[in-house]
Amino acid sequence: MVDLNTISPKNGRNYYIALGLEGSANKLGIGIVKHPIKSQLSSGDNSHQCDAQILSNIRDTYITPPGEGFLPRDTARHHRNWCVRLIKKALKEAGFNDPSNDIDVICFTKGPGMGAPLHSVAIIARTCSLLWDIPLVGVNHCIGHIEMGREITKAENPVVLYVSGGNTQVIAYSENRYRIFGETLDVAIGNCLDRFARTLKIPNHPSPGYNIEQLALKCQNKDKLIELPYTVKGMDLSMSGILAYIDSLAKDLFRGNKQNKLLFDKKTGKQKVTIEDLCYSLQENLFAMLIEITERAMAHVNSSTVLIVGGVGCNVRLQEMMAVMCHDRANGKVFATDDRFCIDNGAMIAQAGLLQFRMGDIVKDLKETIVTQKFRTDEVFVSWREK
Amino acid sequence: MSNLHHTLEVKIPFKDNRLATTAQKVMATDPIIRPESFQVEYMVSEDDNGTLLAKFSAEDDRSLRVGVSSSLSSILTIIETMDELDSV
Repeated sequence: MVDLNTISPKNGRNYYIALGLEGSANKLGIGIVKHPIKSQLSSGDNSHQCDAQILSNIRDTYITPPGEGFLPRDTARHHRNWCVRLIKKALKEAGFNDPSNDIDVICFTKGPGMGAPLHSVAIIARTCSLLWDIPLVGVNHCIGHIEMGREITKAENPVVLYVSGGNTQVIAYSENRYRIFGETLDVAIGNCLDRFARTLKIPNHPSPGYNIEQLALKCQNKDKLIELPYTVKGMDLSMSGILAYIDSLAKDLFRGNKQNKLLFDKKTGKQKVTIEDLCYSLQENLFAMLIEITERAMAHVNSSTVLIVGGVGCNVRLQEMMAVMCHDRANGKVFATDDRFCIDNGAMIAQAGLLQFRMGDIVKDLKETIVTQKFRTDEVFVSWREK
Repeated sequence: MSNLHHTLEVKIPFKDNRLATTAQKVMATDPIIRPESFQVEYMVSEDDNGTLLAKFSAEDDRSLRVGVSSSLSSILTIIETMDELDSV
């Protein structure tokens, strides 16, 4: 039986406070989350309704110039420069001036992600833990996304589509693990979109994926899709071939390569396809693949709800397509969150970390705080849910 | 160990032993990625109050420079965290 109330909050309070530090990629996020003690959490599978309050959730994104991706070393430097300032700001926003008394647990991302950025944030988490004498919890980044999504949307037991710059997974819960039903065999969907944005040399602000989405909206030929490889492999996906192909189309377009009959009219040499058309077709093609494997996972586990998490999850077109699929299924429903919780943030690490903390899962030796670039979703034992 | 002939010792003063020990614990946690070409040991000296002693050794000056530089930037982060967040 799951009892989330066995560990008492600090100083006899009737609520828990968690500080969450996230820095696995180019976003640095600091969040502070409060859980009141709730009798319904003493039994049953209720970890998706903790009545969590987000006391602060701030983010600073390392943005590179158009055409450039973010490199681990530079991203780590960005995080080192900003992390302490952001923690101070978050504490102030939450109204805390004595962290060693106010905070019950410090949660940080242990992985997966880029090694150097993860490490730079872990160092600060360790230092704060020792300075303030507060226990640490290492959180799996993917679990953070899932638990934040469940808490915000109250989706009890959905199939989870986790789509971001580094991950593409279809996940369903079973017997204390979030099991991976399907995933990408090569690049993540967000990475595919980011890299195409680099080829187009469009800005990385606010995010490359958002700018592709905006270009796709301007597409004038929505009834004429450009044919791209459709690479669903069983429950898995492959996207690197699609990227290479659409990259070559974009380059032909920029170069004005009239030999390409797909892009230019055979006789007149007139341009038939625009950048907007490419963005639209790329999105439609990739998202259709995602919808297909998500639907198959739903059929497998007999679920009628989908929760979309991860940075690509705030793409409105993806949410729309998912809703169409769900509409065709009995009682089908899509849950999604907005950019505050979809895109990497500190609150999600605090949320998942606080669930771990309340189940007594804390770091006992600093060696457990060593970050890891590879850390699969199904490696985590989910003690806070019923079988 | 025997071929790590390029060495450097850095002494970093802290406000007191508590902070020096904190930095030592935070730094000593991470494993060395290539121990055959670079090693580092962090100590808090007994006599000097609040001094972190970092002993680096490497097989050539290049790996020494790279290793020391990454260590120092981590230590700098720790010091900033202490300056800004110790009993805020």
